[in-house]
Formats: sequence, C-alpha cells, structure tokens
Amino acid sequence: MGVVPATTVPDTRPDVDESTSTADAWVTIVWNDPVNLMTYVTYVFQTYFGYPREKADRLMHQVHEEGRAVVSSGNREAMEVDVQAMHSYGLWATMQRGGQ
Amino acid sequence: MRAFRRHKGRFVAQLDAGERAVVASVVADVAELLGAGRFEDGPREGDQPAAVPGAPAGWSLRTAPVPPPQDPAVRRLLPDASRDDPEVAGEFRRLTEDDLRARKIARLRSLWTSLVHGEPGWPEHALVVAPHAADDVAATLTDLRLVLGERLDLRTDEDSEALYDGLVSESEDDVRAYLASVYGALSWLQESLLAVMLAAPDGGGAGRGRSGG
Repeated sequence: MGVVPATTVPDTRPDVDESTSTADAWVTIVWNDPVNLMTYVTYVFQTYFGYPREKADRLMHQVHEEGRAVVSSGNREAMEVDVQAMHSYGLWATMQRGGQ
Repeated sequence: MRAFRRHKGRFVAQLDAGERAVVASVVADVAELLGAGRFEDGPREGDQPAAVPGAPAGWSLRTAPVPPPQDPAVRRLLPDASRDDPEVAGEFRRLTEDDLRARKIARLRSLWTSLVHGEPGWPEHALVVAPHAADDVAATLTDLRLVLGERLDLRTDEDSEALYDGLVSESEDDVRAYLASVYGALSWLQESLLAVMLAAPDGGGAGRGRSGG
C-alpha cells in the first residue's frame, strides 16, 4: 500500500506502549457474504494470517453463522494492511477501534 | 469444462473454446469495470487507472478524498473499510484504492492471457496454473463471482443456495439464466482449484501471508 517511507522527523509523541494502549487497539472484522465459498474463506485465513486449520475453520464458521468475526487486532496501520489484504482476496473486511 | 487436477506439477483444468471465450469476456468486463481498457484492444495500455497528474510512475500521491465507486459491483470489489465511520473509510480508500485496483487488474490480465492464448506446450483446452500463481487465480475467480453475484442480486446465503439449486437457471429471464450458469460454473471451477491447492504438498499460496501473524 502507499505508505509514506519511515519518518525522519523526531518522534515527539508521548511515550506510550502501543501494544497496550487502547487508543491504538484496532480490530479487523470480516463480514459474511453470499458469494465467497466456505473453503476459500478458510484458505484465506490460513494462508494470509498463518492461522492453524482449526482456528481458520472456526473463524470461517463464525463469519458464516454470526455474520461477522474479528480476525485480527493491532494498531491502525496494521489493520489497514490486513483489511487491504482481505479486500484483495475478495472478502469484505472493515476496521474499527477495539471495544466498539 | 473439467475440474482442476494436479498434472506435471501444475494445476490444470479443461475448458473448450466456447467456455474459454465466455470466461475471458467476463474477465475483460470486470477489468473494464475497474478502469482498465478493453483487454482485446491491445497490450498493456490503459491497464493503469488514471494516475495522479504529475506524479512519478508508481507513486500514489493522493491527498484528496477518493469517493466510493458508484457501481455496486465495483464497490463490492473495492469495499468500504468502515460501515459507520466515513473518516476511516475515506482515509483507507485514499491510501489503498489505487493499489488494489491495479493489483486486481494485473491478476485479471494474467488470467485473460491464459484463457485466450493458452499455455505453450499444453493442449489448447488446458487452463494451466502454476502452484505459485494459484492464489491469484483463486482470488480472481472470486472477483468474477462477486461481480456476477451483484448482477444476480445475491444478497443472502439463501439467495445463493437457490441459485445452486437451479431455481434461477430455470427462470424465464434469459440474461439472468445465462449469468447464473456462468456463476455456477465459476464456483465449481474455483472449488476444484481450492481442492487441489489444499491437497498440494507445498500447500497453496505459501509465503503470501503477512509476517508475524
């Protein structure tokens, strides 16, 4: 994706642990749709996220039966990468702050 | 049409001339929806969607918001990244849409070339996919099915089940019956490709995933 190269501007942000800061906790959600094959959705979760077959299959069933599933979490930039990858595969994914 | 099988280290399906022409025309239609020129019209030109004026090739310097596509089928290929936050959806579109369009168009062109020109050294009816390219072909078949599904008004799982059950292909609407038959064939083809990918000793699409997932 069209990311800006690593910044050379001094980082003046407050020193916050990004892995635990709620401000940086985002999630990627995959939504059910009538077109994507169940096999394919499982395949995408295994291939892209590297999830074991069992976890990929469970997430696929959650999408299919509950209409959506949280498939990854991280900071906003990481979720942009994951959502773009899901869109490239043809899955409909959205991102939002965790806990919403 | 014959399903994908593993043969000589490749994934190989068989489509006769008529089937190839039908699928190739759907491929070209979807590429055109995404902003590519007609593939039939010649090489490469028009593959890239309109670039930002003055920007060096390969750079996306968009600073203005990118509005969502008007055509619901295109919007399904390039969906909103948020259901309720226009700022998130708009920023995501600005950052990613050009890349995503270009990537989908490149994949479509590759499949179109395989369908129209075949693979040297293989029978003319063979659709030959190298294992490392199978991931892209599976994703492209998805893009084709997403557009057909939108045109067929598939909104729920029940809609698509009805389609597979043949209820729609018996419809009196010829165009709809045609689209439904193409959709069904592509679904079957994709399922067979996934079966050989998942059965392959080297797996499918290895190395394409993000790191540290």
